[in-house]
Amino acid sequence: MTSFPIVELIDVWKSYDGTQALRGLNLEVNRGEIFGLIGPNGAGKTTTLKIIVGLLKMDRGIVRVNGVDISEEPYEYKRLIGYVPESVSLPEYLTVEELLIYAGKIRGVPDNQIRERMNYFIRLFELSEKRRALILSLSRGMRQKTAIASALIHDPDLLILDEPFIGIDPMGQHVLKELFSERVKEGKTIFISTHMLDTAERLCDRVAIIHKGQNVASGDLKNLQQLSRTGESATLEEVFLKLTEEAKELMVEEPIERKRRTFFGFLRRSP
Amino acid sequence: MMRISLILNVYMFKVKVFFGAIRASRASVALLLLYTIGFLPSVFGFLTLITNAVKQEAGVNVEFYVEVLSAIASGIMVFAILLSLRGYMVFDYEQNILLTSPIRPRELLIASIFADLTLALVFANPILVLYILLVFSLNLSALSAITMLLAILLFIFMLILLKISLSIMKSLYGRRWINAFTSMIMLFLMLPALSLFLDISLNYSSLPYPSKFLAEILLGIIYDCGVEPLSLLSLTSYFLLSLAFFMVISEKNFFPMAGYAPFVSPFDVSMRTQTLKIERSIRTFSRMGAFLTLNPESKSLLSFLMKKEFIRMLREGSFFGVLLLYLVVLFVISITSIVPSQGAQRPPPQMFFTTFFIGVYSLITPLILVGNWRFSDLENLWIPLTSGADMRMVIKALAYDFILISSVLPAIIILILSITSNINPLLPLILVTSTSMIGCPVNLYITIKFLGKKRRGTPSIFVSWASMLLSALLLTPTYILVVLISSLALGYAVSTPISAIILVYSAVIMMLFMRSAEREILTIEV
Repeated sequence: MTSFPIVELIDVWKSYDGTQALRGLNLEVNRGEIFGLIGPNGAGKTTTLKIIVGLLKMDRGIVRVNGVDISEEPYEYKRLIGYVPESVSLPEYLTVEELLIYAGKIRGVPDNQIRERMNYFIRLFELSEKRRALILSLSRGMRQKTAIASALIHDPDLLILDEPFIGIDPMGQHVLKELFSERVKEGKTIFISTHMLDTAERLCDRVAIIHKGQNVASGDLKNLQQLSRTGESATLEEVFLKLTEEAKELMVEEPIERKRRTFFGFLRRSP
Repeated sequence: MMRISLILNVYMFKVKVFFGAIRASRASVALLLLYTIGFLPSVFGFLTLITNAVKQEAGVNVEFYVEVLSAIASGIMVFAILLSLRGYMVFDYEQNILLTSPIRPRELLIASIFADLTLALVFANPILVLYILLVFSLNLSALSAITMLLAILLFIFMLILLKISLSIMKSLYGRRWINAFTSMIMLFLMLPALSLFLDISLNYSSLPYPSKFLAEILLGIIYDCGVEPLSLLSLTSYFLLSLAFFMVISEKNFFPMAGYAPFVSPFDVSMRTQTLKIERSIRTFSRMGAFLTLNPESKSLLSFLMKKEFIRMLREGSFFGVLLLYLVVLFVISITSIVPSQGAQRPPPQMFFTTFFIGVYSLITPLILVGNWRFSDLENLWIPLTSGADMRMVIKALAYDFILISSVLPAIIILILSITSNINPLLPLILVTSTSMIGCPVNLYITIKFLGKKRRGTPSIFVSWASMLLSALLLTPTYILVVLISSLALGYAVSTPISAIILVYSAVIMMLFMRSAEREILTIEV
C-alpha cells in the first residue's frame, strides 16, 4: 500500500476579490479513513474542497491528490474522485437513470458496469420508484441521494462530499453512514465537510478544524482534546469552540494586496 | 398619512435590486453604452424621417397623421390594459420583504411607479435623445418643447395609473365582468383604427379618446399648426380621472391577492430566476421529449454527449422555440408571396428577400440555443468538470448539436419554400449553413468567456449582444458573396465555387472558435 496521503494541501492560498478565503492552508487526508473538515461559516471549507476537485484555482500553494500535483496534471486525477457539492445542481431535464448513465459515461465506466452500479445505487437509496422520473420532480433529499449515487457510479477511491447529510432523512443518513464505513473497509477514502459536529464526532476517524482559511488543528478526537486542553470527556463541539475561540485571539489580520480598480481595468488581460 | 421617507426607501431599494447586475460586472457599463450607441442609427433615422416629412411636405394632411398616431397611441393603451389582466403582480423579493412589512398599499404603489419610471429612463435614453434632437431640428420654441413633453408625460402617467388600478381590481375581484369590461375598452380603443384600411366613418378624430388628444397636441406642435387648449385640457382631465381612480383603488389591501412572479431583470442579475424559467419550460416540454432516452450503449462519447444535449433541447423547449421561430418565418414568407399575386403593385417574393429574411432569423437561432444552454446547464457544469472527462468533447457535442439544429430546421423551411414558391434553394441554404457554422461556435465561445469569475455578473442580454455583433462581423464576407451572386444573377458555374468558398471560410471560423471555446472552458471556475 502506498504511504503518501491521498490528499495533501501545502500552504494553499486563495482570495476572492480582495477577501482572503484560504491563508496558507495545510492539510493531509490519509487513505482508508473518513476525514472531516469542520469550521465556522466562511472558514474556507467549500473553497478547499472546490480547489481539490478542480472547480477553483488556488492563488498559490501545492495540492496533491494520490501523489499527483494537480497544477501539473489537472485532469486525470479526477477519475479517482467522486464529488458532491453543498448546493447540488443537477440537470433537471434528465431522469434519475439518465443522470447516472451520464455520470458513468463521462467517467469512462464500461456500459455493462454502468447498468449494474446504477441498479445497485437506485436500490440502495430507495429511488426505484423514481428511476424514470425527471430530476425536476424529486424532493431535495432525493436529489441529494441521486447526486451521491452519481458520484459513486465509477467506484472512486476518494469521495469528497460537501455537507452530505443536509436534506436527507434519518433513514437515508443511516444508509449513507453504513456505505461510508463499508467503503473505508475496502480501503477507499471519504472526505466530508460538515457543520454537524455530533455526526463528525461519531463518523470521522480524523477531523481538521479550519478557521479563516487556516488549519487550526487536526487529528482524531483524542489529539484534539489534548491540543485544546479540554479534557478526555470533552465533545468535539466543546473542542471546536475552544480551538476556534483561541484561533480568533491569535490570528493577526494580514493586509490584502488589493488590485487598483480602474474604469477600463476590465479591458486589460490577466497575465 | 403617507410616509414619504418610507416611500423613498422602498424606491431606492427597488432601484438597487434592479441594477444589482451592473455593480456585479463592470462590463455591463460598457455594454450599456454599446446598447445606446446601437440605437443611435435608428434615432437619426427617425429624426430624418420626421424632419423631412415636416419640412418637405407642404400642405400635408395632418388629420391623416392624427389618425395614424392615435391608432399607435391606442395600441399602446391596449397593451397596458392587456398587462393588467394578469392582476397585480409582485416580484418574489417584494413578496418576501415588502409585503410582509407594515407598508401600506398606496405607499408601495407610489414607490413602484417612480422606480419603474427610473428604470425605464435607462432603457428609454435613445427616445430622450430623439426628443431633444427633434426639438432642435424643428426649431421648436421652449413653450412648444415643454408642452410636448408635458403631453407625453401626462399620457404615460395616465397609462401607468390605469394599468395599476385595473390590475388591482382584477386581483381583488377577479370576476368575469372585469375581463368583459376591459375587453370592451380595448375593442373600442382599436375599432377606429379600421378606418385606416377600410372606408368607414368611424375614426379617431370624431371620438374623445386620450390617444387622439395626444396625437393632436404632438402633431399640432410638430407641424406648427397650433395646439388646441381643449386637447390639452382633455388629456389633463383623463390623467386626473386615472389619478382619482388610482387614489380610490390604492386604498384597498390587495396584498393577499397579489400574484407572484420571479424577479426578471433585463440585467439578468439572478441566475435563479432564469433557472425558474427553465424549470417551467421543462414541465411544459419534457413530455414531448420523452420519446428519446439516454442509454449507455452509444458508439462514442461524442455521440452520447450529442444525444444528451439533444434531449436537453427537446425537454427544456429550445428545439420547439426554434421550430416556432421558423414556422413564423414560413408563415410570413408565404403571406408575402400570396399578397402580390392578388394584383398589388409590389414585386413578387424575390429570392433576395427570402434569403435575407431567413438569414436574419438564422442569426437569432444560435442566441436562443446557446442562451438556453447557459441557463439550464451552467450550474451543472460541475459534473463534467469534476469527472476528468475530456471537456473538448463536451464543447464539440454542444457546438455540433447547435449547428445541426440551427441549420437543419431552416433548411427544411427553405426546401418547402423552394417547392411551393419556386425559389432556388442554393443561396438561402448556403447563407443558413454559414450562419450556423459561424454563429453557434462564436456564441458558445463568447458565452463561455463570460462565465469567467469576473464576468459572470454580465447580463445575458449584453452577452447576446456581443455574440450577435461578432457573429455579424464575421459573417460579412458571406453576405458580400451572397449579395454578389444574387445581384449579379450569377449562374451555377460561378455560384457553386463561390458557395464552396463561403463554406470553407465558415468551417475555418467554426474550427477557430470551437478550439477557443475548448480552451476557455478549462479555465472557468464554478
